[in-house]
Amino acid sequence: MTALKWERGALWDVSSRTIVYAAIGAALYGILLVAQLPIPGTTVSVRPAFALVPFFGYAFGPIVGLFTGLVGNAVGDQISGWGLLTSWNWSIANGLVGLIAGLAPLYLARWVNGNLRDRAIGGAVAGAIAVVIGFLFTFTDLIIQSGNTVGGVTSFYFTVIVADLIATIILVPVLVYAWEPMKAQLGR
Amino acid sequence: MNIAPRYLGRGSWLARRDPRVLILVVVLFIFTVLQIWDARRVLLLLGVAVLYYRTGDIPWAEIRRNWAIVFAFIGTLVVVNAILAGGSTAEVPLTEAHVLFTLPILGTPMSAESISLAVTLFLRYMAMATIGFPVAFCVAPNDFGIAFRRLGVPDKFAFALDLTFRFLPSLAADFQTTVDAQRIRGYDWSAGAKGFVGKVRRSGPVIVPTVVNAIAGAEDTIDAMDLRAFGTGKRTWIRHLAYDRTDWIVLLAFLGLLIAATAWGFTHGASVWTPQFLIDLAEH
Repeated sequence: MTALKWERGALWDVSSRTIVYAAIGAALYGILLVAQLPIPGTTVSVRPAFALVPFFGYAFGPIVGLFTGLVGNAVGDQISGWGLLTSWNWSIANGLVGLIAGLAPLYLARWVNGNLRDRAIGGAVAGAIAVVIGFLFTFTDLIIQSGNTVGGVTSFYFTVIVADLIATIILVPVLVYAWEPMKAQLGR
Repeated sequence: MNIAPRYLGRGSWLARRDPRVLILVVVLFIFTVLQIWDARRVLLLLGVAVLYYRTGDIPWAEIRRNWAIVFAFIGTLVVVNAILAGGSTAEVPLTEAHVLFTLPILGTPMSAESISLAVTLFLRYMAMATIGFPVAFCVAPNDFGIAFRRLGVPDKFAFALDLTFRFLPSLAADFQTTVDAQRIRGYDWSAGAKGFVGKVRRSGPVIVPTVVNAIAGAEDTIDAMDLRAFGTGKRTWIRHLAYDRTDWIVLLAFLGLLIAATAWGFTHGASVWTPQFLIDLAEH
C-alpha cells in the first residue's frame, strides 16, 4: 500500500499505520491550532494548521483524514478549554473535510496517479473541494441553534471556507512536495 | 511550550466521577438545552450548569482567559446574528415585531423580540459552554481512550484517541524546537508578513518540517505496534472503569432533566419568551 496511489479497497483498511498516522495528524492539528490569525470583526481565524486535515486525508486515506479533522478539532477545543464535545458538529465538519480529501483517488485519479507536480496540484484541488463540501455540515447550526438565521450561518460558512481555503491551497501542495521524497526514502 | 490539556480539576468531586459520566452529561445537557427557548427556564438550566461546574473546583485564575474567549466568541456570534436578523425572528416578522430602536450607521431595527432571542441564544450557548468546561479540565487526558471504548467506540479508534493524547507533549516539544531552530536562522514566522496569504505562507517553514518529522518518526511506533501484533485480537486496557452509586444518580438526574425538557417541549411548544416590559417600552 503506498501513500498516494491507492487501490479502491485499500482506502478503508485500518492497520497500525492508519492508527498511528491518524493519531499524529490529530495531535499535530490540535497543537498547531494555537497559531491562529484572527479575521477582524469576526469570530473566525485563518488557521494555517487546518491544511493538515486535507493533507493527512489526501496522503494517508479517508480514515486518517476523518480522524485528523474530527479528533484534531476536538483536541484543539479541549486544549483551549472549550471542551471536547461542545462544538461537536464543527468537529464533524472538519472530519468530513479529511474524509472527502481522502477519497481523492475516486474523483481525481488522473492527478493522484500522476507525477509529483500533478499530485501536489491534486492535493490542493481535493482539499479545496473537501473544504467547500465538508463545511456544509456546519449548517446543522440552523437545527441545533434554530434561533440562528440562514444569513448568519451562511456568512459564517463563507468566512470559514475562505479562511480555510487560503491555508489549504497554499500549504497542502507544499506538504505534498515535502512528504513525497521522504515517503520514497522510507520505502512507503 | 505547554500545549497539553490541563487537568486542573484533579481531586475534585467531578474528577472522581467515572469519565464517561462527564461525557454523557454534556450530551444529555446539550439535548436538554436545545429544546428550551424560554429565557427564564434557560436561566434555570444555566444555574444547574454552574452548580455542576463548581463541583469541578477549577481554579478561576487559571482559566480566566478561556472564559474571556468564550464570552467574546458567543457575544460576537449572537450580536452578528441579531444584526443580520434585522429585528425579525423565525416566529415574528418585522411588520409584527415591537421595534425599540434602530442601530446607528447600519440602520438595522432592533425589536423586543430580536433582543429577547439574542439574550436567550446567549444564555443557551453559555449553559452549553459551562457544562463543557469540566470535560476539558476534570478528565485525566489518559482516560479519554478507555472512556470512549467503554461508550462503544471501536477498539482501534479508542486506541488512536489514547495515542493522540500521548503524542501531544512530544509533538508540542518538536514544534517548539522547530520554531526555535528557525529563529536561530533569523526566521520568525510570526513577524514580517503582510496580509493573511503572506502570513500563511510564512508559516510553511515551521509547519512543514514539524509535520514531516512527526510522520517520519512514526515508523518506530508503527513497528512497535506491529511487533506486538496490534489489532489481531481483543485488546485489554490497564485502566478499569466502573460507575458507582453517585455516578448513576448524576446520570439519572441529567436524564430526568432531558425527559422533562422533552415533555415540556411537546406540551407547551418551543417559543421565545419576550418580557412584557420590553414590549411596553416599544409601544411608548
